Amino acid sequence: MLLQVNFKSGMAVYQQLVDQVKLAAAAGSLKPGEPLPGIRPLAEQLRVNRNTVAKAYAELESQGVIETVAGKGCFLREGSSPFKKDVRRKVLAESIDQAVVHAHHLQIDKEEFLRVAEERFDALALKRTRASQG
Amino acid sequence: MMSDNTPAIDIRNLVRRYGHTDAVDGLNLRVAAGRCYGLFGRNGAGKTTTIKCLLNLLRPTSGETRIFGLDPVRDEVAVKSRISYVPDQVSFYPWMTVEDTLAYFASFRAQWNRDIEIGLVKQFGLNLSQAATHLSKGQRTQLALICSICPEPDLLILDEPTSGLDPIVRREFIRTVIGAYQEGDPARRTVLISTHLISEFEGLIDEFTIIDRGRNVLTQEADRARAKHQQTLEEIFVSTLQGALA
Repeated sequence: MLLQVNFKSGMAVYQQLVDQVKLAAAAGSLKPGEPLPGIRPLAEQLRVNRNTVAKAYAELESQGVIETVAGKGCFLREGSSPFKKDVRRKVLAESIDQAVVHAHHLQIDKEEFLRVAEERFDALALKRTRASQG
Repeated sequence: MMSDNTPAIDIRNLVRRYGHTDAVDGLNLRVAAGRCYGLFGRNGAGKTTTIKCLLNLLRPTSGETRIFGLDPVRDEVAVKSRISYVPDQVSFYPWMTVEDTLAYFASFRAQWNRDIEIGLVKQFGLNLSQAATHLSKGQRTQLALICSICPEPDLLILDEPTSGLDPIVRREFIRTVIGAYQEGDPARRTVLISTHLISEFEGLIDEFTIIDRGRNVLTQEADRARAKHQQTLEEIFVSTLQGALA
């Protein structure tokens, strides 16, 4: 898993790390039970403040993506999300709402939106297949 | 004792004149404990004068400075025991080797982390028996950095630490500050970096103040500033000062 930060994007640095770990997990390049880089080496490698990496990991833990094992570091969580299905649906609905609003302003109708969603699912599935093949 | 919200640095209405020139002209600066704080300004903006007033190396013309709530003049020893300072020009005693210099600095300190010292001397490839004044500029800065980190101070003040260094030494310097200094309890460790080489420290800084002609121009959190301006800190610095100069 290759993590990078872009100071030009305007997005908070810790948020960039959160998004990249979540993408790597979804795309299969980071597998359940695999360790994440240590806070200090990652901070040194990216030349960012340790607090920034610590904040990203804390956020990932609160979202149930990773778990911290005392004295061993952080790992991608094995198995299912710790949240109940209705909570997960609600969190997802909030993100989709944003995309729906975005689509409206880009004159993308419901049908096309659903087609794009399907394409993106397929693109991610392809990435997962490639990651599992090595 | 310091309460949790006592700022590491608190400067109010600082004025420092040299003759008829106001090097610092009513500056305010408040650095919360645990922050990695950038003091940004062009050459001659008043960064070094501000730091020297804060360290009681220069007497302010007027205004107030506090470190951990203490007066750097009245409580000089208490303040100095908790801070380390790397000036822009580093010099050592000509009769001392690298090893002597490290022992000499250690002798002033209540604590000195030998493991950090050994690790950094090795990492930088310094020769312990070499005369400290025969070191290159980069190596002198590295030695000064070791001397400032080993006491594990609550506040580390770096004044233009990387100017005049080659890019590889700069990278190594910043990595070292990130790694060794923020070891332990990061909430207790505060860093103040004065620089005009902002892109070097972009990822390290979590809050900054831009000063110009001895006055505050802009104070902001780094993430918030990048989100608001959709620019890097260096671009924000340039556009802010061009706006201020117009």
